Amino acid sequence: MKKKFLALLLTLAMALSLAACGGKSGGADNPGTQEPSSSGGDAKTYKVGICQLLQHPALDEATRGFKEYLTEQLGDAVTFEEGNASGESTNCSTIIDGFLASGVDLILANATASLQAAASATSTVPVLGTSITDYATALEIGDWTGTVGGNISGTSDLAPLDQQAAMVQELFPDAKTVGLLYCSGEPNSVYQCTVVDAALKGMGYDVQWFAFTDSNDIASVVQSACDVCDVMYVPTDNTAAANAEAIANVVLPAGVPMIAGEEGICSGCGVATLSISYYDIGKIAGEMAYDILVDGADISTMPIEFAPEVTKKYNAANCEALNLTMPEDYVPIAAE
Amino acid sequence: MDFIFGLLKAMPGSVAQGLIWGIMAIGVYVTYKILDLADLTVDGSLCTGAAVCVLLTLNGCPVPLAMLCSVLAGMAAGLITGLLHTACGIPAILAGILTQLALYSINLRIMGWGTDNGSKANLPISVDKYGLLVSSRYVRALDSSNPIWVLVIFVIAVIALLYWFFGTELGSALRATGANGNMARAQGINTNFTKVLGLMVSNGLVALSGALVAQYQGFSDVNMGRGAIVIGLAAVIIGQVLLSRVFHNFALKLLAAVIGAIIYYVVIQFVLRLGLSTDDLKLLTALVVAVFLAVPYWKSQYFSHPGRKGGSVHA
Repeated sequence: MKKKFLALLLTLAMALSLAACGGKSGGADNPGTQEPSSSGGDAKTYKVGICQLLQHPALDEATRGFKEYLTEQLGDAVTFEEGNASGESTNCSTIIDGFLASGVDLILANATASLQAAASATSTVPVLGTSITDYATALEIGDWTGTVGGNISGTSDLAPLDQQAAMVQELFPDAKTVGLLYCSGEPNSVYQCTVVDAALKGMGYDVQWFAFTDSNDIASVVQSACDVCDVMYVPTDNTAAANAEAIANVVLPAGVPMIAGEEGICSGCGVATLSISYYDIGKIAGEMAYDILVDGADISTMPIEFAPEVTKKYNAANCEALNLTMPEDYVPIAAE
Repeated sequence: MDFIFGLLKAMPGSVAQGLIWGIMAIGVYVTYKILDLADLTVDGSLCTGAAVCVLLTLNGCPVPLAMLCSVLAGMAAGLITGLLHTACGIPAILAGILTQLALYSINLRIMGWGTDNGSKANLPISVDKYGLLVSSRYVRALDSSNPIWVLVIFVIAVIALLYWFFGTELGSALRATGANGNMARAQGINTNFTKVLGLMVSNGLVALSGALVAQYQGFSDVNMGRGAIVIGLAAVIIGQVLLSRVFHNFALKLLAAVIGAIIYYVVIQFVLRLGLSTDDLKLLTALVVAVFLAVPYWKSQYFSHPGRKGGSVHA
């Protein structure tokens, strides 16, 4: 028995040392990843790694837009390796490391933690972010010029925040207090709330912040917000998106209308939103990837891109429940 | 063939992550195995360590000093859990959960130190701007910048320090507390004090691990400790099941926890490479831990070795 375990241990040691060798040779030919992936003739193939932070409808859409565009353009010449960290941000490092080990030509980092892990892991392989609200916050960039530089660029999911604040004013000019609802665990939400807060205060509203931590306390936080607010605003908050129905169950009976930062949340608990399409920002990231891979564009000079169009949309069912009529230029969110 | 090659190339990353989480696993070993307490504080104190380290580094503090402060912050977290348990009579598992819960808010405040809002969920730290000790950037480098060297030194230092500590009178008292609390009290040991001390040592190590994780992955995040206890337990148990027959020395048992953590990350990398949907990752982790926990039990049930049960502490 003892021998068997010893044997097992030795095998393990061998495997590990072998592994170490493998890794080192990987490091040596890492800069030249382009060569091994081109398989003779003109048929150049590309390997793209996609790291997504968690299972989430909006993030899934961005990934889908990215993949569909590249597949459409490159067909079989592009292969994808996908990893989903299932919400554990430390898994992003593991996934990204796997990509680098298999010599991907480009990494798509979907959501903030993925981008940070990728930025930390490589300074040579091009990294495109998507579904990231503010690159300066995510990557700790002091003097923001619109371009990250180095090996990083990407697309942002930011809908114009001043226009969202203007939407509150357009729809609810008589409201006094606006509540900002967000998850304290999401840096992007805090950023958006800060900007919207300033814009709303500039219009003369009284603004109050309501932070929840997770699905367990969201209902009570929303309830207390409903007690003091006439209108509520929720940014593109992943946790709020996941709990939209729970929020709806509180705000609709309380009769408090909610402006949402994105369509997914709005279709659950909001009345109106300025909508960007995550599919679109994923697709634009795909276009950027095409430029980098095929046309050899320099990623360090590519500015962060935004969604091409924003649409004013409203949730017909919720508006009806709250007896609200929307202006002509608002489009109802399509029922699923 | 490509598959095996890719897996092998990913090994340095798995080893580095395994070494970092191995320090955390040693922390879990101290409470779970030596002190015989299930401490859930670690899900929070991991992030506390990371947050303190990143915040201080960003504010110009040298990295080693920042990491020392991380350890102290983690020990403070352990102290709270210990006091909740001993001075307030709250069951250990609940005391840990309470501290973990409180740490969520505290971690937000730590990372938001000095900002207008006073609370922040995520702090990035770039290896290009600060002299970080470890970074995933260089994990495949061939020279001394490879984080694996630094991590090996850390692991050896931690094991050596603990080996010394658990040999002292105080350390022996701590082990006696876990082995048989009543007997320890009969010998004049203040078991409440030793429990608090054990929790502090454990969470100090977990915070150290957190500080290394943050540097390695380039950010600290308020959710980074989520599920940490499961990784720690998995590492301890995998190490024990695979190596308890050959590793009898106390230092080697601690090493077994580190090897367990490395194996854990190799398995995760393997699962990811197999193309298995990562949606199922948590189920797989739970299954792996459950199987490794069950195997020793089945062995003792069906192939019993009398006199070997419970005698797990050999220093």
